[in-house]
Amino acid sequence: MKFHFFHLMPYPELPDDFRQRYHGVWVDLPAAELFDADTGYRAYNDYLDELEFADRVGFDGICVNEHHQNAYGLMPSPNLMIAALARRTSQAKLVVMGDSVALYNPPTRVAEEIAMLDVLSGGRMVAGFPVGTPMDTTYCYGETPATLREKYREGVELVLRAWQAAEPFAFNGKYTQLRYVNIWPRPMQKPHPPVWIPGGGSVETWDWCAEHDFLYAYLSYFGYLRGQKVMEGFWNAVARRGLEPNPYRAGFLQFVAVADNDAEAERLYAKHALYFYNRCLHLYSGFSSPPGYTSLATIRQGIEGQIKLAADRNKELQDLTWSQILERGYVVAGSPDKVVQQLTEMERTLRVGHLMVLLHFGDMPKETVEYNTTRFAQEVMPRLRPIWSEWEDNWWVKESQATLSAASASSAHLAVSASTSD
Amino acid sequence: MRSETIALPSGRRQVVYRAGEDGPALVWLHSLYGVEADAAMVEELARDYAVYAPLAPGFTDLDELADIHDIHDLALHYDDILVALGLQRAVVAGHSFGAMIAAELAAHVPERVSHLILASPLGLWNDAYPVADLFGIPSPEMPKLLYADPRNVPAVDGKPDVEAIIALSRGMTTVARFLWPIPDRGLSRRMYRVRARTLILHGELDAFVPARYAADFARLLPNASCRVIPGAGHMLIVEALDEVLSATRTFVSNAVEARV
Repeated sequence: MKFHFFHLMPYPELPDDFRQRYHGVWVDLPAAELFDADTGYRAYNDYLDELEFADRVGFDGICVNEHHQNAYGLMPSPNLMIAALARRTSQAKLVVMGDSVALYNPPTRVAEEIAMLDVLSGGRMVAGFPVGTPMDTTYCYGETPATLREKYREGVELVLRAWQAAEPFAFNGKYTQLRYVNIWPRPMQKPHPPVWIPGGGSVETWDWCAEHDFLYAYLSYFGYLRGQKVMEGFWNAVARRGLEPNPYRAGFLQFVAVADNDAEAERLYAKHALYFYNRCLHLYSGFSSPPGYTSLATIRQGIEGQIKLAADRNKELQDLTWSQILERGYVVAGSPDKVVQQLTEMERTLRVGHLMVLLHFGDMPKETVEYNTTRFAQEVMPRLRPIWSEWEDNWWVKESQATLSAASASSAHLAVSASTSD
Repeated sequence: MRSETIALPSGRRQVVYRAGEDGPALVWLHSLYGVEADAAMVEELARDYAVYAPLAPGFTDLDELADIHDIHDLALHYDDILVALGLQRAVVAGHSFGAMIAAELAAHVPERVSHLILASPLGLWNDAYPVADLFGIPSPEMPKLLYADPRNVPAVDGKPDVEAIIALSRGMTTVARFLWPIPDRGLSRRMYRVRARTLILHGELDAFVPARYAADFARLLPNASCRVIPGAGHMLIVEALDEVLSATRTFVSNAVEARV
């Protein structure tokens, strides 16, 4: 299996009485009142250091994502973060998780930027295309919820065509009309970088991913026990199409906290996990379900199948404690043995070839992140690595000559700059 | 009240509720929750008018909106409905979302509308007194926005079943399609085209669409008067049904007499 270091880049200095003073972390949280640029400067640079660190200790991929008008994640443009990382990393693949295609006008902007980054990084890009949360897409960016998914899919179709077309073409879509589509540059990877679809449990996304052979990644903060129903839905969609249940079709996101033992895990990580769950996930329910964002089929499935959408979880987060976080499996924490055992069980349950781990929690300082990252990379990753080795990963960057030489050129460059700065 | 499905020249099918046989034809364009939710209003109107109440496309099936991309498509769809019903000219009345469609219809096809009654209409925007975000509040808070007195909220029997939740979601999806993110689709630029005499009714205590919009509608429409109903909120046809009915009757009959 493969391991990816995912960074959410939260704003790390929300006040202690945040839940009492503000109705939510997203959309209308007053930036003029709460955002401090010096804090932002330190956060961005620490976070990029942490992603670069993950590259050095052997993660397969490093992941960033897109969110707007919030203190939960400071990345309105994930591609800017990837651009910063492309020149400072050499081995890890760059997973943008991803660009909310419906929010780019025209969507060929996404095709262009990913192509730029793919060429710049020597073919290391993985292109994630999320619909985007209701807060980001409908409230912050004003997209009509009823048409968002259709616009998104049309945009993804346009991006894929733009990457592959043999000649310039006209695109007469419902949401985008372009007389000439002919992007420069084109991606280094052929026919295009792997496409990953981050999902939140929508019924139609399972089928869509299976139909198009896109990787489906379930991004949840609520642990693998809760993720089971969603992943079952995806695997059923795969089975309905008679496709092989290759685990590399799927990804899952998990908070992991590695320490000597439970006591050290609590001492090092508990308060930062609570910062994340209590503050960063403090979502105003008025912004959770714009009418039309969730399809009627998914609403029906939710009522009948008892699948909770991520947005419905807010009420469970009030007064959450570290022991509840562990009991419910939101965070997998403890000694390397314990973490390996739990993640092995998770693998058996969910069948995911791509594990995205969150090793930075909320407001965790860089030293703690690097400690957690080192221990995960050295004591957990090697023991889980052989799982699914019987399957071929067709949803990953193929090592090309350019990738390899770019990697060695880049590490040589880093070595030179390191020695000149000494 | 009975419903029928008619075929339109566009190939679409359209559900139309009917009530009353006698009197002038009156087209009722429903509020936020479909025709059934407006049954009391429709039944009362049926005493004086032959009422036709089309269900907004999307309310029965979201696919009905596949070819209705914007407010212009929607206005022309309603024109198709009136033509299919043989109504070359009719009284058109609507509430809330329905009043916005009524105003759009009258602006797009002025000759189709003899009298226009707009109850708590949407469709205009002023930064100084913005329309509240109906879709940006938790659903339990909606009554506070829509009713001056939340005790006026119609009671629901028991816990809503799956189909009721799906139907509500389908209706709101449709409404949001034409109101998101700001309920201004350019109506103010077209209102000069309206030829019908117009009555605007608005609840004094409307917390969703502030009553000041009533004056804006009256100012922008060529031949309109407005009446603000004290004590009522946005859901005028629930909270001030009698006032709405009597104002409508007086307005239509006076207008008819004036024309004779």
